Amino acid sequence: MLEVEGVTTRYGELTAVDDVSLTVADGELFCLLGPSGCGKSTVLRTIAGFEEPASGDISIRGTDITGRPPHQRDCSIVFQDWALFPHKTALENVAFGLKMQGVDAAERRERAQEALDLVEVGSQAEAAPDELSGGQRQRVALARSLTVDPDLLLLDEPLSNLDRRLRESMQIELKDIQRRLETTMVYVTHDQNEAFTLADRLGVMNDGELVQVGDPGTVYDDPKSRFVEAFLGSTNFVPCRVVAVEEQPILAAPFGVRFQAPIDAGSLAQDDTIVVSLRPERLDLNPAAEVAARAVEDGGVATDEVSVPCAVVETIRRGSSVRIRLSAEETDLFVEVPVEEGIDMTAGDTVALQWATDDAVYFAETGERCR
Amino acid sequence: MSTGTGRLSVPALPERWRTLLLLLPVLLLDIGAFLVPMGYLLRLSVTARTSQGAFVEGSWSIDGYRYVASSDLVHQIFAFTVSFGVGVTLLAVAIGVVYAYAAWQAGRAGRIALLSVAVLSLFTTLVIKLFAVVLVFAPQGVLNDLLTGVGLLSEPVLLVDNLVGAVLGQLYIVTPYAILAVYAVLSTLDRHQVEAARDLGAGRWDAFREVILPHIRPGIAVATVVSFTWSIGAYAAPLLLGSGSEQTTGILISELLLTQFDWPAAAALAVITVTLVFSILMVILWRFDESGGILNA
Repeated sequence: MLEVEGVTTRYGELTAVDDVSLTVADGELFCLLGPSGCGKSTVLRTIAGFEEPASGDISIRGTDITGRPPHQRDCSIVFQDWALFPHKTALENVAFGLKMQGVDAAERRERAQEALDLVEVGSQAEAAPDELSGGQRQRVALARSLTVDPDLLLLDEPLSNLDRRLRESMQIELKDIQRRLETTMVYVTHDQNEAFTLADRLGVMNDGELVQVGDPGTVYDDPKSRFVEAFLGSTNFVPCRVVAVEEQPILAAPFGVRFQAPIDAGSLAQDDTIVVSLRPERLDLNPAAEVAARAVEDGGVATDEVSVPCAVVETIRRGSSVRIRLSAEETDLFVEVPVEEGIDMTAGDTVALQWATDDAVYFAETGERCR
Repeated sequence: MSTGTGRLSVPALPERWRTLLLLLPVLLLDIGAFLVPMGYLLRLSVTARTSQGAFVEGSWSIDGYRYVASSDLVHQIFAFTVSFGVGVTLLAVAIGVVYAYAAWQAGRAGRIALLSVAVLSLFTTLVIKLFAVVLVFAPQGVLNDLLTGVGLLSEPVLLVDNLVGAVLGQLYIVTPYAILAVYAVLSTLDRHQVEAARDLGAGRWDAFREVILPHIRPGIAVATVVSFTWSIGAYAAPLLLGSGSEQTTGILISELLLTQFDWPAAAALAVITVTLVFSILMVILWRFDESGGILNA
């Protein structure tokens, strides 16, 4: 449906988008996720035709549209600030695209009203944009883009100006509208939760480059780089030293534990640094006494499961879960456990932190994933 | 003395008096600069004429108005002045809109260049400005030399000492204000709105008509008001760059004052002109206010 091939977009000297290629299937909701300034909005603006790519091609349904002006592309964009026309009513805003197509006045009123009804602001048809709430404006902007019946709908952080609760309900609604109308969407956001809620597939961008593309679960579980791992959720990064290179390297953590990492030792040398990512939800907490006995059995190098004695520094209740900050010698770590598990812990307690070596993710110093 | 508050306590004034007190400087300025001279002008217009001097002090007469009402020459000049003002205003606003739009669309360097050219011409005084027009548009001027030089014209066209010259001179005076008035409003337009229009299928002209024009209406109103008030009072440009038959009320009034010593008639003509301009302005402002324009923008 949408094919972006090797697109590079520059603003003067600055390369905002660097050789990005992606394809979006018919009826798919594709999220472009990345921190602000990573070039994700520029990708969208290039697809819409507001920026001219320095190189690369864009095609929709097999037709090359790279050189076409915005009004001759079968796609429509919803802006972050919605960009409603302030001198027109909600209905006139929504009817604008039809007016430009030369649809007669009676029919465009009717179709615009239908679109407003679809997004549940039908009763506000005669209101001016500045009389509407943020949520209503967002809906009008969506309706305005939907009335031109675009092959491709581009959304540039359309919900980021709304408060959290409204944003979450709009996400569900948007997904619902997308399924009903089977519109192909490219959705730009910096909010990983939003991307996970909405996306059929997502692409993570950093520094103008598309780092990883895949379905949300895969990208989360199997990140290609340290950047992706860090961006998709909070985690503990623990720098470890390679102490022995066998088929699988032995790593020494700064808190005195040695363990065998289930990765290919390949190009590793002694004293290299490997950064281990320990996702808080993949860590277990156990009473310290049980663990001490096991560590002795392992004879100093853990193989499948690693245990670390830690002191509880602080417990922070975060709604339905508790975040527990721990200290293992000089290293700060944190875990997140359900309230019922974490409620008894208090600062100063000694606990054993455990994880399976398979559940940790390993990165070279360059940020690349070690497998 | 008590060691209480350091500030002198002013006896509390009623709200209304305080507002009046704060408005006093502005009111004094208004009265001194506008009302008194206007009142004097009004009084002057109903005095009697005399061959001994400018007017008869303390006399009452409507001869001034009678002269204005009965003279065909005055009617012609008045009609010319109004159409001159309207024509220059239309041209100035049209040029202002196009120029401001070009500056807005241009890149950073282009925008600065275009706007500084507009502002720069405001730095020069009226007379220098008009002689610049002569230098550029005269038969041996820059423009004619250029056009004949490249062979576009076989002989120079006459662009000064006629109506064209008067209009060009007046445009040179008022257009910078029109440009700046429109640009000031245009610069507040969210570019996303234009992009949204283009995205929804609008060509450049459609986007201009549907999005930009409604946005810059207050700027157009200001440009119109400034250009019109200035052009209807045109004096120097038609005098220096016209042929002599481009007489405006301004020129006529000065003639009545300085060569014919008919002050009552001059004052009467001035009062009528001011009244006309004032009522046209009120209509414009009122119209724009009604459609949610300039006054509450």
